[in-house]
Amino acid sequence: MSFDAEQREDLRRKFAEFALGRDTTLRGELIEAHLGLAEYLARRFSNRGEPLDDLVQVASVGLLKAVDRFEPERGVEFSTYATHTIVGELKRHFRDKGWAVRAPRRMQELYLRLGKVVSNLSQELGRSPTIPELATEAQVSEEEVLEALEAGQAYRFSSLDAPSPGDEDGDSLGAHLGEVDPLMADAEHRMALTPLIARLPHREQNILHLRFFEGLTQSEIASRLGISQMHVSRLLARSLTKLRAAAEED
Amino acid sequence: MPSQDEVRLAVPATPEFLRLARVTASGLASRLGFTFDEVEDLRLAIDELCFILIGTRGRDGVVELRYAMVPGALEVEGVGSFTDGGGNGHHSESATELALAAFSQQILSALLDDYAVYRNDEGKSCFRLLKRRGTTGNP
Repeated sequence: MSFDAEQREDLRRKFAEFALGRDTTLRGELIEAHLGLAEYLARRFSNRGEPLDDLVQVASVGLLKAVDRFEPERGVEFSTYATHTIVGELKRHFRDKGWAVRAPRRMQELYLRLGKVVSNLSQELGRSPTIPELATEAQVSEEEVLEALEAGQAYRFSSLDAPSPGDEDGDSLGAHLGEVDPLMADAEHRMALTPLIARLPHREQNILHLRFFEGLTQSEIASRLGISQMHVSRLLARSLTKLRAAAEED
Repeated sequence: MPSQDEVRLAVPATPEFLRLARVTASGLASRLGFTFDEVEDLRLAIDELCFILIGTRGRDGVVELRYAMVPGALEVEGVGSFTDGGGNGHHSESATELALAAFSQQILSALLDDYAVYRNDEGKSCFRLLKRRGTTGNP
């Protein structure tokens, strides 16, 4: 993550301009230019039992806040400022979620293991497995499977829920970091929902659309997007949590 | 008294206790032979409906849940009894909340076979849901 002198100058100019006009296109460009930093920092937290994808999203939220709050006239480099904000966001993520505290390690491991079991069994059976089938395959009890699912989803996203304070244009992340999926253009609902949904990362928007508008099952979405069903499940739960909180913030 | 095919649960009306509502639902769904997909749908739906009752910050009071196992399906009823007056439940009608309400309906109809959100005779916020086995992920 490094810029040459010319790029740095360009970014400095954009920050100054953004500080004055709060232009959303500019904001999108500034965010995009620093996504590498967010990803880099997310990786540093990736050995704590959290999927990297999730961490990158958390870091991106931190980046977004940093772009919005950065005051170029203070003479601090943006990367310094942003690093601080992003790391803060990542730490808060772990703290809020309290994964390590609340979910016994055994349950965390079982949850991670179940991800593979679900996808293997789904493929083998040609349908979604039942809980007893999962339990048998994983050689644990049904209760343990259910407990692990709950442990894995014990995500508390209070820190991610709302746009940052003073964020007057909360919908521009979706608009600039990824166009709203054209499929999203479900005529009737689109108008009302776009501002809310556009705040979500592109992939979450896509998953919401596939599940709730296209009617695909979680397992179908998982295979279409090439990610695990557990991940689909987590992202869905998380998106809904964020939407609810965002609505209350308004 | 609950009948033999019924489980009742009363939890504080705050988000951290919704876990119990979900675990109970998934435990019963598992007994009924629901698939993983169906259990996951049910968990999301319980969350969605409970949040409609209590809002994301919770309320003072309790949510009473009644889970009824009927052949091939699970029915859940939730009744909110709150002591904090209006609170931040589903009364407010900002444009965003209305939009979310529309989306909520879309979500719930994708997840469930039937549901309703209503006020009972005593004016309490309630929901009812029906989730059948064998309607998700088994084309």
